[in-house]
Amino acid sequence: MKRILLIFTLLVAAFLSFADDSVFSPPAVPTLVADNANVFTNGQRMALANKLNTISRETSTQILVYTTTDLLGYGIADFGQRLGEGWGIGQKGFDNGIVIVYKPKTDSTSGEVTIQTGYGIEPLIPDATCKRIINQEMIPNFQQGLEYKAIDDAIDICFSLTKGEFTADEYSNFGEDSSVGSIIVLILLLLVGYVLYAAYGQFTIGRRPSFFSYLWFVLSLIGHSSGSGRSGSSSGFGGYGGGHFGGGGASGRW
Amino acid sequence: MKTKGCLIAVVAVVLIGIFSVVVWYIKTGNKIVRLDEGVAESWAQVENVYQRRADLIPNLVATVKGYAEHEKTALTDVVEARAKASSVNVNPEKLDAQSLQQFEQAQGNLSSALSRLLVVVERYPDLKANQNFSELQAQLEGTENRIAVERRKFNEVAREYNTYIRQFPASIVANSRGFEKKAYFEAQAGSEKAPEVKF
Repeated sequence: MKRILLIFTLLVAAFLSFADDSVFSPPAVPTLVADNANVFTNGQRMALANKLNTISRETSTQILVYTTTDLLGYGIADFGQRLGEGWGIGQKGFDNGIVIVYKPKTDSTSGEVTIQTGYGIEPLIPDATCKRIINQEMIPNFQQGLEYKAIDDAIDICFSLTKGEFTADEYSNFGEDSSVGSIIVLILLLLVGYVLYAAYGQFTIGRRPSFFSYLWFVLSLIGHSSGSGRSGSSSGFGGYGGGHFGGGGASGRW
Repeated sequence: MKTKGCLIAVVAVVLIGIFSVVVWYIKTGNKIVRLDEGVAESWAQVENVYQRRADLIPNLVATVKGYAEHEKTALTDVVEARAKASSVNVNPEKLDAQSLQQFEQAQGNLSSALSRLLVVVERYPDLKANQNFSELQAQLEGTENRIAVERRKFNEVAREYNTYIRQFPASIVANSRGFEKKAYFEAQAGSEKAPEVKF
């Protein structure tokens, strides 16, 4: 576990040194609604966050809504992909993340929107479908100033297209394999440890270590090998899952 | 008696030394193999997305033909560039600068033939209104993004591998086992930032 953690830290460090913008590293407080352009009211932001948190909790599919006034010179699709990959939207292994990036129209620049799909979402929401959602559901609403409706509708469609494909049950089973493994390891450790402990007492004249020190030793071993338990609060958002994005999806401007 | 004890201690230290060097050598070698596999996997993804683009072309050409039959040169250019690009095979074991450049050149020719075709079709409003065509262009756009992403990911993985095998002391293991540096995709204008496909 320690080594995995080390490699992970190194990878993150390597990633950070490649990415020139800290925008693409996950925020300290994980959220699925990042309204940097301030397009929603507080109530709308809460409603969106509640909806997205529920989807994430119940289906493990994560949808990130990100609004910004500045794409930092990236194309919007590129920006969305980097965001999804950098923050790790969706679950690792399932790659069931979706990123919606919206840049409001200003007097001098056109409005832009993108839906980026994680690798696991690509077969469920093909690029052409993303394009249709953008052209038929989102852009007409954006043009009328109905920003919340545009994004809320898009979320509903994306959700209905991915529903049933990933379930929270399936996701927790996904993690359970390793816990069965660690139980077996635990039993083996206990057995081997006890045999050694007993043997130590048989063949040495010295003071036999207490049974508690043996127990402490085994438990500390277990502490190293496990400790990857998933914690998720019943309300709110538990955190990003480490999903990957390959550039699938579509974008539109008006 | 004392010298004998010393001798045993020295032998033990030497043995432990040899043992740890052997363990280090094996571990480092395995890590290089793992990184090398990562590069190969990433390369497979790159080929995958280029293949995806190649697969879209016959359909695209057929659709355009139906509306813009006069644009023979632009169409044949695309078909020929596609055939050439598909004929370039890169050995994933040996991603050296030369083979990567060949691959890149063939794919680049296809990219420019495609963009010429897409400029030409601007003149055909009926085609642009065609449902099939607009789906194809959405797919093509997504595929160009995927290509940019996988190229970037490949470069990142290859950079990690290259850095590791060229650093001392891992470089000793890499040299003795014949691991070589991998080439990068050049960050030409339009590869770092995804090209915008405009129709």
